[in-house]
Parts: sequence; structure tokens; C-alpha cells
Amino acid sequence: MPTPKPRITREDFDALVRASGLTLSEEQKNELHAAYGYIEVMSARVRAGGSRSRSAEPAIIFNPRAT
Amino acid sequence: MTNIPSIAEAGAAIAAGRLSPVALTEACLARIDLHEKRVHSFIRLEHDRALVAARAAEAEIKAGRRRGDLHGIPFAFKDIYETAGIPTTAHSQLLIEHVPTRDATTVTKLAEAGIISFGKLATHEFAIGGPSFDLPFPPPCNPWSIAHFTGGSSSGTGAAVAAGFVLGGTGSDTGGSIRTPSAFCGLSGIKPTYGLVSRAGILPLSFTLDHAGPMAWTVEDCAILLQAMAGHDRADPASANLPIPDYRAELAGGIRDMSIGVIRHFYERDTTVTPEVGAAMEASISVLSRLGASVRDVTLPPLQDWQACCMIIMLAEAYAVHEPWLRTRFNDYGKCFRDRVAPGAFISSADYMAATRHRRELQEKLARVMTDVDLLILPSTPGPAPLTKDVGSYGLFEIPNFTMPFNVAGTPALSLCNGYSADGLPLSLQIVGRPFEDATVLRAGHAHENATPWKERRPQL
Repeated sequence: MPTPKPRITREDFDALVRASGLTLSEEQKNELHAAYGYIEVMSARVRAGGSRSRSAEPAIIFNPRAT
Repeated sequence: MTNIPSIAEAGAAIAAGRLSPVALTEACLARIDLHEKRVHSFIRLEHDRALVAARAAEAEIKAGRRRGDLHGIPFAFKDIYETAGIPTTAHSQLLIEHVPTRDATTVTKLAEAGIISFGKLATHEFAIGGPSFDLPFPPPCNPWSIAHFTGGSSSGTGAAVAAGFVLGGTGSDTGGSIRTPSAFCGLSGIKPTYGLVSRAGILPLSFTLDHAGPMAWTVEDCAILLQAMAGHDRADPASANLPIPDYRAELAGGIRDMSIGVIRHFYERDTTVTPEVGAAMEASISVLSRLGASVRDVTLPPLQDWQACCMIIMLAEAYAVHEPWLRTRFNDYGKCFRDRVAPGAFISSADYMAATRHRRELQEKLARVMTDVDLLILPSTPGPAPLTKDVGSYGLFEIPNFTMPFNVAGTPALSLCNGYSADGLPLSLQIVGRPFEDATVLRAGHAHENATPWKERRPQL
């Protein structure tokens, strides 16, 4: 897959970085902003185009008897 | 390099008194002395401890107290398995002085089975960041061709077993980290069913995708090792409390009348493989058919769906594990780790939950397909090992791989050698089973391995 161009603007991405608490150089921010395109593509795919039922359960293992 | 026995062969020879654990340990240490400076598979070689342990094993066996097939067998641990009193670094500057006070459950179990620990093996940093040249230790080289990639993240285990430095080792697999180095280094390696082998005491990457398992030269050796590693552990909240079958005994069953599905669209439509991998897959299908299995194509959701699901969950969970250090010591990680894990900071909770809901949908679709077939097959990797210099940080994001679907599903998946490229690099087959039917997967792999000549070759260092 060619590197997908991120839809998020650099300004909005910088806001995400600030909220994350990460301290990044400009070069690191540039690189992560470019990589964010992959996250957008994969996130869209797992959202299944919004067609999922509201009650669809996640696959999370939880044992209420655990001590 | 010749005369490197499998675990099964060495175990039988030790039991019969034809092979001394001390002599076997010395032979492996001699190979390490000769070749490790080119292979870089070890982070920490416990030369003297191994000899002491081998002498103790030999005395115990001579006194009639042989523990089983693993007693006296040279072995080593991926350096994310915690070992009491011995540094466990995860191949990272961040843990360079980390000395655990207890063993991982699997370390204890393998010690009780009598393995001779040679020490700690290289890994991608925290089982995801590599190959990297900006870490405290170099990445391992592939014994089949030093310039080629070992695969990862159980890179040191792949290299050390292929080189005959040890006869087996541990790996961990979150998106393919047992199966990919097994494939690139010509080994057999199984990612067991999620919950079968304890993760307690193994440094986490992604809690719901991490699997621990064995890597060795043959499928039979993997069965022997899995026997020692599997079993319920209260220290691991995901551990399954189920009876453990006799994996080695069940190898003998053969595959006559088994039904096998080929996930052809993964490697012919969803992405591509090299012509040699395609030809090796057709040859494997012929072998399995000749052994009495019925083989037909099956259809699953596109490979890209599995990759997206696996990556979103893995990155979100890995970021959660590492967030405190990423906030305070970002530049102490290698660049490859930073490139791969830092994007996890920007995955929303809604996206993470969407991935876990998608995971259930994918699991259910796989389970439906597997009501009609006993096993699934596909390549482990799209080609032989690439050159290490050509492996970048974002390959995991760019190209959907053939291993992640079975981390998402939690099903057992075995990689084994099914041929060689024109350049002499190993090719590989992946065999997948239903949850907790690891024995069936191993049986099919053993049948394939016995019907083909691929394990007769060893890398020439």
C-alpha cells in the first residue's frame, strides 16, 4: 500500500500531540503526522462503514470470578 | 555445519546413554565460539552456568533420574522472558539494568523439564522495534545469509536455533513474531492457542494479542517443547484451565481424511507472493493431498480487515504499556520502536473499541469456515527473508501479513519450512487449527515435514 496522505491537518495533529503529553521534535512530528495516514485508513476499516449494530459486542475476555 | 541433532534425536541419544549432555553442551558452545560474532543471536550468553547445569543434568541422568525428552537439551530464552537474577533487557536501553527477582512461569516449567539454559536471546526492542542499529545490542543476522533479515521479533531465537547454537528456544507472537523468524530462518515454530501457554513473567506488548510459544528445528521438537510449556497458570488471567493432551504421541495419527482449507485469496488476490512461494504452496497442497487429506479453497474476510484489526488493537495496547516512558524517555527508545508504537497515542477509545468489536466479527467468520474444515493453510510470509537493509519501520503498516489473522482469532498457527528459494533461503507453510486443537496442527505439520526433504539442509556458516 502506498503511504496514504493523512487527512488530518498538521495543526490538528499538533493538537493531538500536545494532548498526548509526548515531547517530540519537529522532525518527529513530521514523521508521525505522515504515518497517521495509516491509522486513519485502518481505523476506517475497523469501523465497518458504520454498519455495525449498536449492540455488537467486543471480543474482550473478562472473568468476573478472577481474584 | 552438520551433526546438529534435533531435540527428539538428542533426547533419545541421551536416554540411551549414547550422548552426554556435557558433550552436547560443549559442542553447542564451540559453535557459538566460532560463529556468534557474525550472527549476534545472544544478548547474554551464560557459558559457565550452562556447563554447570549440563554436568548436573548428566549426574542426575546417570543416577537414574532422567526427567524426560528435554533433560540436558541446550536451550535459550527470548530476552523478554523474565529470569530471576539474570538481566532481562527486552533488547532496550530502558531495561539495561533490569534484573528480575522471579522467573516467568514458562522459564520455571522448562527448567523443571531439565533444559540447559544458555542465556538470553536478541529480540526486536520490546518485541516490536526492529531490526534496529541504534540499540545497546545489534540485531541478529540470518545464518542462511548474513545480510538477510531473521524476521522478528523473536529474531535471536530464529538465528540461534538455525545456527545450531541451541536446539530450541522461546518466542512470543503478537502479530507473527514466532512464525516470521521461524519462516525466514527455516525453523518450525508454533503460536499456540491464546490461553494455552502462560504469559506470566513475559514482558507484555499487547495483552489480548500476545502469545508465548516454542521455536525449534522440527515440528516434533515443537510438540516436545509445547508439552513442557502448556498448562493452566493462575498468574495469567487469560490462562485456560483445560487438560493438556500428549502432543508428541498425537503426532503419529497422520492426516488421512482430514479436511484442509486453502485461504488462496489472501495470497493471490488480497496481496501477492513471490512465484517461488506460490510454487511451494502448490507443492505443499500436493503433499497434503497425497497424504490423504482433502484440500479445497475457502474464503474469509479480506486480509486487510485482519491487519487493520490487529494493528489498531496492538498499537493502542502497546502504547498504553509504554506511555509513561514514552512521555519521559522518548528518545531512549530506538527509532524503529518509536515509529511503530508512538502512533498508538493517537488511536481514540472509539477506534480501539471498534477494533475489538470487529475482532469478534472476524473470529465468528473464521469459526464458521472451520466448522467445515479441520485446518487452514497459507504461506507464513510473502517471500523469503529480505535484506536487512531493506526493512523499514512501516512495513507492518504497509503490507498486510499472513500471520496477524491468527493473533486476532487466537487460533493455533504453525510455521514450517516448505522449500527454498533459488538463493537458498527458506520458504514456509503456515498451518492453522481450531482453538485448542494445537495437536491437530502439529500432527499435520509433522506429516508434511516427514514427507519432504527440507529439514535435511542446514545453513553453512
